[in-house]
Amino acid sequence: MKIMVCIKQVPHADARLDVNGAGTWIQEENIKFEINPYDQNALEAALQLKDKDASSEVVVVSIGPERVTQSLRTALGMGADRAVHVKDAAADGSDSLGTAKILAAVAKAESPDLVFAGFMSDDGNLAATGPMLATLLGIPHTTTAVSFVKNGAVTVERELEGGALEVVELNTPCLVTTQTGMNQVRYASLKGIMAAKKKPIDVKTVADLGLAGQVGAGAAKFKIEKLYTPPKGQGAEILSGSVDEVVGKLVGKIKELGLL
Amino acid sequence: MGSILVIAEIQKGKVREASYELVSFARKIGGATNREVKSLVMGQGISAGAEELSKKGGGEVFAADDAALANYNLDAAFAAVQAAIAASSADVILLSNTPTGWDLAPRIAASLDAGLASDCFNVEVEGSDLVFFRRFFNGKFDSRLRPTALPLVATMQPGATAAFEGAADGKVTALSVSVGATGTKFVETKVAAAKGVDLTKADIIVSGGRSVGSPEKFQEVIKPLADALGGAMGASRPVVDAGWLPHEYQVGSSGQVVSPKLYVACGISGAIQHLVGMKASNFIIAINKDADAPIFEVANVGVVGDLFEVVPKLTEAIKTAKG
Ligand SMILES: Cc1cc2nc3c(=O)[nH]c(=O)nc-3n(C[C@@H](O)[C@H](O)[C@H](O)COP(=O)(O)OP(=O)(O)OC[C@H]3O[C@@H](n4cnc5c(N)ncnc54)[C@H](O)[C@@H]3O)c2cc1C
Ligand SMILES: Cc1cc2nc3c(=O)[nH]c(=O)nc-3n(C[C@H](O)[C@H](O)[C@H](O)COP(=O)(O)OP(=O)(O)OC[C@H]3O[C@@H](n4cnc5c(N)ncnc54)[C@H](O)[C@@H]3O)c2cc1C
Repeated sequence: MKIMVCIKQVPHADARLDVNGAGTWIQEENIKFEINPYDQNALEAALQLKDKDASSEVVVVSIGPERVTQSLRTALGMGADRAVHVKDAAADGSDSLGTAKILAAVAKAESPDLVFAGFMSDDGNLAATGPMLATLLGIPHTTTAVSFVKNGAVTVERELEGGALEVVELNTPCLVTTQTGMNQVRYASLKGIMAAKKKPIDVKTVADLGLAGQVGAGAAKFKIEKLYTPPKGQGAEILSGSVDEVVGKLVGKIKELGLL
Repeated sequence: MGSILVIAEIQKGKVREASYELVSFARKIGGATNREVKSLVMGQGISAGAEELSKKGGGEVFAADDAALANYNLDAAFAAVQAAIAASSADVILLSNTPTGWDLAPRIAASLDAGLASDCFNVEVEGSDLVFFRRFFNGKFDSRLRPTALPLVATMQPGATAAFEGAADGKVTALSVSVGATGTKFVETKVAAAKGVDLTKADIIVSGGRSVGSPEKFQEVIKPLADALGGAMGASRPVVDAGWLPHEYQVGSSGQVVSPKLYVACGISGAIQHLVGMKASNFIIAINKDADAPIFEVANVGVVGDLFEVVPKLTEAIKTAKG
């Protein structure tokens, strides 16, 4: 079985984020990146299938600049077999549809039996790319998986609102987007990291995939015109002073509420 | 000019509140851009819902009433949407940012080679252009998104506007949908299990986020404050995902929706999925080291600082005050 996992590299959850000079994205210099948390669960789901059937092949795919190599190495260290890195400035500024078109071109060449993507990226938050990719491939999909079983067909529990779940069965090939907490993600072992150094990362351009002119900023159907810090509105009364003074004020507020 | 198609959702036999919010947005932009508002209602035995929507702003309501739509099924729902787009000549398609929207909206967009703006909290008309507003980076930044092409698909955040309340006369048109072989099959819905801890009953909740760092720190830092105040402990989702606390402690859209007299958020950024679970609290105190954290927008009182410094001192001060 061949399993494709879509991995996006996103700013680390603890990174300090500022809007860039153009006011259209964040400024990316000097911040740490990591594999999108949702995609870590996607990769773990794929690796668990490989644990059960060693003949399975796990291919990780990522679109992004040079820095993405590090995340792909991490994924290979965790146990993925191969990586495809679409590294091309022509892909920059793609919207979800452009991103899905690139991933679809890779998937068509790979013909995976299963595709995993994260439900949502921690930066863009669009939660769109996975199902768009499935649509372009003409395969069924489901979203927000919190469990996954493959027994011929695929059975997934997807998360609804308020903790309710929906059980869905899918024919294969299919695409599943994963929700955080779906599984406990493994770490790359030292042995895995060493082995990863020999595993191939296949670097591709947009033109290699036959998509020149069809993706990237120029083809985006929605343009980010402006990214800005939300207006504060009424907001909170921010307490000032030393920690002791602030704590004193908090106790006063709680007293006023009649809760002490 | 095309029309605006509202993809309504039926829940327990009734049109969801979120769908009437879509009607509000649709009528606002429809009026300003000369687009008619039309709607789709799908399911089985939905005629009452379709009728109501047609009288309450949905315009011409296409009713896809079919056994294949009795439970949510991607292929069946998508077939209904395709039929409704053909029947309505829609070039703006609106859904709610709900589990159905997550599953369906990107499929509609990709099938039309159209863009998707998801989880928008507003849409405005500027000249003859639509501009969508949504958050990026878990609420840290807002954005203006301008479509460069039509048709377009957008999902709107539930609760972002008031539900349409006016009366407007529309009509119901039956829509026949042909659902062939489906690649997905609905099996069942599982309702959330009853909880050992019922946060919805607590008067005071002290919640900790990912930055608390470990299950031990929850017991050392967060729980003592909850205890001192005589309240319950809560958490954001990453805490539960990591297994530091069971799911019943999770506050938010996929956890408990609470409205205590006092909610203390410690090291929680304030992503929308957390906010919807606690913003109705009577009084909110937020402690976060990032002055720009979105949690401060819903808090009454904020402390910009390190929770590991502030919370233990607050715990001691509460104990002293209580004597
Ligand atoms: C400089 C810059 C400018 C931008 N301008 C625009 C713009 O004008 N309009 C716009 O819509 N967006 C723009 N973006 C954001 C855009 O690149 C989004 O990241 C893209 O639309 C994908 O959406 P998302 O990240 O929200 O992914 P989601 O749909 O939330 O991602 C879901 C899943 O899809 C997969 N996936 C997503 N991206 C990748 C990837 N790169 N590689 C592999 N798998 C992936 C992952 O599995 C991920 O978990 C810009 C980004 C940058 C850096
Ligand atoms: C479909 C869906 C459903 C979801 N449901 C839920 C839900 O029910 N509940 C929920 O909570 N989330 C939910 N989420 C996840 C949500 O999007 C956020 O990822 C999550 O709420 C973030 O949790 P957090 O605030 O603890 O972590 P982060 O966003 O990582 O924030 C950590 C915060 O801690 C602050 N901080 C760091 N160190 C300190 C310190 N020493 N002192 C003080 N402050 C500090 C940082 O400034 C930051 O603001 C859902 C997501 C999706 C897609």
